[in-house]
Amino acid sequence: MKENCSHQVDCLKMIQLILDGEATEQQLAKLQINLESCQPCIRMYHLEKEVKELLTKRMEKRCCPDELVATIKSRILSFS
Amino acid sequence: MSDTPTRDDDQTLPTDGSSVEQSPSDAPARGYTDEQKYRIFNKEFMPHIDSMYNFAFRLTTDEDDANDLVQDTYLKAFRFISSFEQGTNAKAWLFRILKNSFINDYRKKSKEPAKVDYQDVETTYNSEDAETEHTVDLRAESVSDLIGDEVATALNSLPVDFRTVIILCDIEGFTYEEMAKILDIPIGTVRSRLHRARNLLKEKLRDYASSMGYKEETDE
Ligand SMILES: [Zn+2]
Repeated sequence: MKENCSHQVDCLKMIQLILDGEATEQQLAKLQINLESCQPCIRMYHLEKEVKELLTKRMEKRCCPDELVATIKSRILSFS
Repeated sequence: MSDTPTRDDDQTLPTDGSSVEQSPSDAPARGYTDEQKYRIFNKEFMPHIDSMYNFAFRLTTDEDDANDLVQDTYLKAFRFISSFEQGTNAKAWLFRILKNSFINDYRKKSKEPAKVDYQDVETTYNSEDAETEHTVDLRAESVSDLIGDEVATALNSLPVDFRTVIILCDIEGFTYEEMAKILDIPIGTVRSRLHRARNLLKEKLRDYASSMGYKEETDE
């Protein structure tokens, strides 16, 4: 297991592509290898995943107030 | 940079290049009947209103401003509905209008400490190598206990351009290609801006986590 990663910034960029669903097959395969052999890559992967999940799952989604929906609909009707 | 006002809300659409905001009458008349217009509006635009509101709220960080921004955007969308091609990506189309309205109308009067933010952006943009070529020393475990409000606070403290890419990608799930169209920037810029935004966010989260006393490597 590698304790030091010589391409940390590039690895991080690749990890982000993968978590965003924008990576190529090649990049996926490369990550697979790094996740078995490179300690810093493993740590970065878990951190990126955690941060993304904080944003997707833990942040409150604001819903549009019903009043605003009603206002928009009525203003549209008076248009034409 | 995105400080430049972008007024061409219909640029991503196969139009003859006319600007939706400047000359609506020149828009390629898709010749929708009134009935069709209302149907498109209700079936294709309205289903996205919660996402739009959430986006507006995350951009303005203010409920009243979010209300105004969403209303303006939907009225604009209806007025220029003939430049929308039925069945295409309505969500991205609407987000683009909202983001342009925000830049043109709201950013100026926004309550956030804009001056500081812009300087931040400036500094970050101008020192690309220094700012991008690093990783943030932070452990997954130290952020895993943060709650939604704390994440929101960290996100809100980012300059708006950085906040925007994170919202679009991580909260709304747009692809890089969709984001490029919404923001009028190349995909490569989407990628690098996201990378920078996430580094900044992690720095904020790290500060937050340590100020809240969550266990870090260093113990006091
Ligand atoms: Zn590595």
